Amino acid sequence: MGMKTLERLKGLPLVVVGVGLLALPSFVDNYILYVMTRLFVYVLVALGLNLLTGYTGQVSLGHAAFFAIGAYTAAVLAESWRWPSVLCVVAAAVFTAVVGYLLGLPCLRLSGLYLAMATLGFTLIVQEMLLQLAVITHGSEGMKVRPASILGFTFDSDYRKYFLLLVVTTSMLIVARNLIRGRTGRAFLAIRENERAAEAMGVNLAQYKTIAFAISALYTGLAGALSAFLVGFLDPQEFSVFLSIQFITIIILGGLGSLLGSVLGAGFLIILPELLAGLDVWQALVYGLLMVLTIIFMPYGLSGAIRRHAYRWLGVGVEPIVPRRLGH
Amino acid sequence: MVEILTSQVVSGLATGCVYALIALGFVLIFKATDVVNFAQGEFVMASGFISYTLLIRFELPYWLVFLATIALSGIMGVALERVVVRPIMTAPIFSIVIATIGASIVMRSSAGILYGYDVLPLPTIFSKDPIHWGVLNFTLMDAGVIGSSLVIMVVLYLFFKLTKTGTAMRATAQSQTAARLMGVSVGRIFSLTWAISAGIGGVAGVLIAPIIYLDPNLGFIGVKAFAGAILGGFGSIPGAIVGGMLLGILENLSGYFFNAGIKQVSTYILLILVLVVRPGGLFGAAPIRRV
Repeated sequence: MGMKTLERLKGLPLVVVGVGLLALPSFVDNYILYVMTRLFVYVLVALGLNLLTGYTGQVSLGHAAFFAIGAYTAAVLAESWRWPSVLCVVAAAVFTAVVGYLLGLPCLRLSGLYLAMATLGFTLIVQEMLLQLAVITHGSEGMKVRPASILGFTFDSDYRKYFLLLVVTTSMLIVARNLIRGRTGRAFLAIRENERAAEAMGVNLAQYKTIAFAISALYTGLAGALSAFLVGFLDPQEFSVFLSIQFITIIILGGLGSLLGSVLGAGFLIILPELLAGLDVWQALVYGLLMVLTIIFMPYGLSGAIRRHAYRWLGVGVEPIVPRRLGH
Repeated sequence: MVEILTSQVVSGLATGCVYALIALGFVLIFKATDVVNFAQGEFVMASGFISYTLLIRFELPYWLVFLATIALSGIMGVALERVVVRPIMTAPIFSIVIATIGASIVMRSSAGILYGYDVLPLPTIFSKDPIHWGVLNFTLMDAGVIGSSLVIMVVLYLFFKLTKTGTAMRATAQSQTAARLMGVSVGRIFSLTWAISAGIGGVAGVLIAPIIYLDPNLGFIGVKAFAGAILGGFGSIPGAIVGGMLLGILENLSGYFFNAGIKQVSTYILLILVLVVRPGGLFGAAPIRRV
């Protein structure tokens, strides 16, 4: 088969995956649908985090906080204020984006490890606020959230939730793809590669870095809001630093600066524990081992490995280049 | 009032010294190899369990347990470097960091499988009886922890300054290429650095486990030590020591004035404020933007 033909067949896997995802609910039980729905939520977060960390080079351990802010904003608006579900989700995403923008301002001076530490502090602070502001958040009791509904149509079954998330996640994936291919995405990459050179080329560093924070927070807040409606219960203990570390693990294992990587990484880290569920006490051990082995054999993440092999063996695409350091 | 405050400061300093030791481990590895080792806290946890086993199950004398724990922890450090980090030294730094996080999950769950998740009591040679000394008010345990930490730091300082190996390590931290050209075996220095860092983590484990608790989650103390290292300026050895100590004192004082939840938050708010004013930490230079 010639190279041209292969190049043309690049869209084929996408079609196969798309048909597979649409047909999936007819073949599997509700639990698998629920796992898949959670997977979509994580894909949304991974997309947001990858835009900030993978594309713009700004490390964040604050995304558990954004996720919590999105989830709680939607829950409070829906339960205490009785807003319609759509408005709740949109307002939660926008509010999280504003918080992200504001957090981005003091973080302009920071980079690398210091940025990681400051955003980690943000996660700890927000989690503590969820417990302290019990008047609004019900503190350690957590919050119940009723299923979302649009014009009387309620998303209460695993089947309906699956399609809701499939549509939202796919749309946001397309938005992210267009974003990174446009002016904004090129500015992000320029900042990641070399801040001074980017500035010399006319990229307004402060503006684009805070925009990256805001967009990243928007994705994560949206994921949080949807997750609140899906799970139906918010437990403040869940929005810990470990969730932030899990998010960053997803994008690194999947592949930094790659949308495909965000999807694969989320798939890897959500499905793997389900597959290992039968191992009982050994689960965490095997999970950790697989994490180490994956990195040793695929140091550029799953998408890096796929791209490299596609290029080497099939001549499709380009050899992936990922910088050794980010944000230095 | 003053006596309560001083006792808070001294016991904070004791915890802070342990943070400083762990932070030193972070910084040594970072300076030599550019890697942030997120399994640093797990060395502390593992040494706690090693010393527990040697002390309770094998009933060895305390001094021997202390030395054996440091040695075993050091060996663990070398093993981690050889097996996990060395094969991916040319990979992106991020990937190496995630590999160390994976290793920390493996170590934590292994400890859970071997010892369970209940808190174990680890005895200490220092008594917890209070001592009054003018306005100073502390326990022998505080003094012992502070004293041992300071001794370790001085020994390390002398090692780096006076021995040939120490000089080779400093040279490697400055420039790997130049060090290699001068005949330094950089690979061996990497292993040695991991051994020393893990060994210091071992000391920290023996010192801190009796004070707080001993269970597989003890390793999360590494996050605080990391915060201390950042506060001081990551990459600076005096920064790690001062940052760790400051963090311990701050945490203890805010725990005295506020409730437990606010204690955590106030420490991190302060940390973020320091970073906004000094983006490279207290002792670190502002990060240089490479062109």
